[in-house]
Amino acid sequence: MKKLYSNKPVIFSLVLPGLLVFLFAVLAPICLSVYYGFMDYSGMGKATPIGFDNYVNLFHDSAFGRSLRNSLLLAVGFICIQHPLAILVAAVLDKLQGKAEGIFRCIYFIPNVISVAVIAYLWKFIYNPDFGLLNNIAKAFGHPGKINWLSQQNAIWSVLIVLIWHGFGWGMLIYYTGIKNIDPVLYEAASIDGANWWTTFFRITLPLMKPVIQINVTMAVISALKQMETVYLLTNGGPNNSTQFAANYLYQQAFKAFKYGYGNAIGVVFIIICVLATVALNTIFRDKQEA
Amino acid sequence: MKKKVVATLLTAAMTMSMLAGCGSSDDSAPAATPAADNAPAEQEAAQEPASADDSEAAAETSGEAVTIKLFSNLPDRKNGQGLVEQKIIDEYMAENTNVTIEVEALDEEAYKTKFKAYAMDGMPDVVSIWGQPAFLDEVLDAGVLAELNEEDYLDYGFIAGSLEGFKKDDKLYGLPRNTDIMLFYYNQKMFEDNGWKVPATTDELLTLCADIQAAGLTPVAMDGGDGWPMACFLTDILVKVSGTSYADIISNAIATGDFTAPEIKQATQILVDFANAGMFQVGYDSQDYGTTMNLFTNGQAAMYCMGSWDASMALNEDIAPEIRDNIRAFTMPVVNGGKGGANDIAAWNGGGYAVSANSAVKEEAIKFLNYMYQPDKLSKYGWENGVGMSAQDQTAYLTGSETELQKQIMDILKNATSVSGTPINDCGPSAFKTAIESEIQGVSNGSTSVDDFLAAIGTACK
Repeated sequence: MKKLYSNKPVIFSLVLPGLLVFLFAVLAPICLSVYYGFMDYSGMGKATPIGFDNYVNLFHDSAFGRSLRNSLLLAVGFICIQHPLAILVAAVLDKLQGKAEGIFRCIYFIPNVISVAVIAYLWKFIYNPDFGLLNNIAKAFGHPGKINWLSQQNAIWSVLIVLIWHGFGWGMLIYYTGIKNIDPVLYEAASIDGANWWTTFFRITLPLMKPVIQINVTMAVISALKQMETVYLLTNGGPNNSTQFAANYLYQQAFKAFKYGYGNAIGVVFIIICVLATVALNTIFRDKQEA
Repeated sequence: MKKKVVATLLTAAMTMSMLAGCGSSDDSAPAATPAADNAPAEQEAAQEPASADDSEAAAETSGEAVTIKLFSNLPDRKNGQGLVEQKIIDEYMAENTNVTIEVEALDEEAYKTKFKAYAMDGMPDVVSIWGQPAFLDEVLDAGVLAELNEEDYLDYGFIAGSLEGFKKDDKLYGLPRNTDIMLFYYNQKMFEDNGWKVPATTDELLTLCADIQAAGLTPVAMDGGDGWPMACFLTDILVKVSGTSYADIISNAIATGDFTAPEIKQATQILVDFANAGMFQVGYDSQDYGTTMNLFTNGQAAMYCMGSWDASMALNEDIAPEIRDNIRAFTMPVVNGGKGGANDIAAWNGGGYAVSANSAVKEEAIKFLNYMYQPDKLSKYGWENGVGMSAQDQTAYLTGSETELQKQIMDILKNATSVSGTPINDCGPSAFKTAIESEIQGVSNGSTSVDDFLAAIGTACK
């Protein structure tokens, strides 16, 4: 067996399928995007080289700036609201034990099982000013109702709530698995020493969860940058780009505005931002681990 | 032993999946290969106007099995225009047993996206198109549509000027399906019960809206989430402000990227005033087509602003009869001091059909296209199903049992002293269309000033 694994043709044949997938499904499209990013191209007919014009226009494009700001807001929302809550809920679930643990775990995970399209339409109805659930609740408390939850000013916060709620189950499940992997002996020792729940949470659970938190936070930031489906179906970036996100804006420019070259330039900048965000997060976490 | 079985199964699964990935589809291969091999020949053929009548090839293939792929923007095949389209397809297949028509239908936005993908990689044979610069300019530049012989359609009864939007350099590339008119639909019974009157001026419209609001109802249901209905609404106001010079003002603004013409500014300000007066439902700028229409058809809104294609509401049995039977329409009231009269209306010939330049069954596809446009097909069936006005003369098909709404719309068109042509959002390149349909939400809800709005849409033209 050892001989087999040191045989170069065997190694090559094992690596080749993965390499081919990477080359043709990841690297080639990126190279094409870079190429078309320098073109004035509608997606049909002839492409004309225009140098860095697409990139220059992009940096003056307020809608693109807003979409990046929204992605940042979402990433902050994920890190500061979704994940602390997810860790707490995971820790509480771990302590519940028995049937309740399974039931609540399922309940919290349900939004992730439902299709994004259903989620978007469900929330569209919840937010509707005429017959939506939220306004009916407001009316029950004496408010005249007709609150416009998706107005230019409110829409981004309403969208963030949906996205944070929708992604909560995944985060919670990963933290829950991380907590389950912590040796129970540590908790027993702590309880013998008289540590209460909060002390064990801060002194044992959190420190041992660092690798899990690192993965979860990195995934959260990347998913905030990549956000598309829910926004597309819920508001399509409107009103007037107030809920615009980079991926949705890319789609609109490339496929609705027939600015395929510009769309590719957005794609290239988008990839660079995603890579930079990943590198930055890895550096932050590595420094902390080393410290 | 168990490990070996598992390993064998995994190997088999991997082999199968790799084979599936490498294999080519039987359906696509024969169609794609000749198109690629014969590309120069096909392009040459595309330059010649194609006529179904003088084609020997079509006659030769008449007995052979032919499959025509139709790509449509009408996904609802049981109501309205989609039903009419499907009915004609079924009739054609019944009359030509060797022909099979495969329909792929998507709603408008998904349709336009996939249309572009098809344009890069081989189009279906017959496609839905829009005879407006925002859609057609790029498509014709790419050379993906077959030229049609205009003389073939001399006796098809097309309304004068209706083919213009489908031409480039005097060559015809598509045929229009409808004449679309921008309308205010209203609930006549609701109006009578409350003593409300159809407004003659925009000031009266504002007073009416205040009365409707006082009655606890939404005055006008507006699909502001999609952007384009509001752009059509702006067109309607602009027609009343500028009269017959609408087309010149817009084409000049788009050519120069300067939208500061006083007429455009005034029309935009009127739109803003309407929105500020609470004319539209709360949250109109984020609500979609269906939700907006439901506000009107459920009786929560007294009026609904949309094109004449929604006249089929009067025949839609899903709508309660007390509302369905009372739907009537009027056009935008005149603006005080505006140059447009009551009969200068916002109307245009938008959607239609074309044939792919590289279709392997181009002659048969054109034969089918011509069949659809025989005056007793699209035009007649469209009228019978109440889907609004056709781009062809429909007077021969009046049955006397038309809905009141249909008669009203027919009168509006008959009495029109001028029609606007293409709505503002479709007059420029698609980048302009995307920009105005987004920016108009901002200007109407007050988050963008009128000047900033005009500057932003001007930039999108440059």
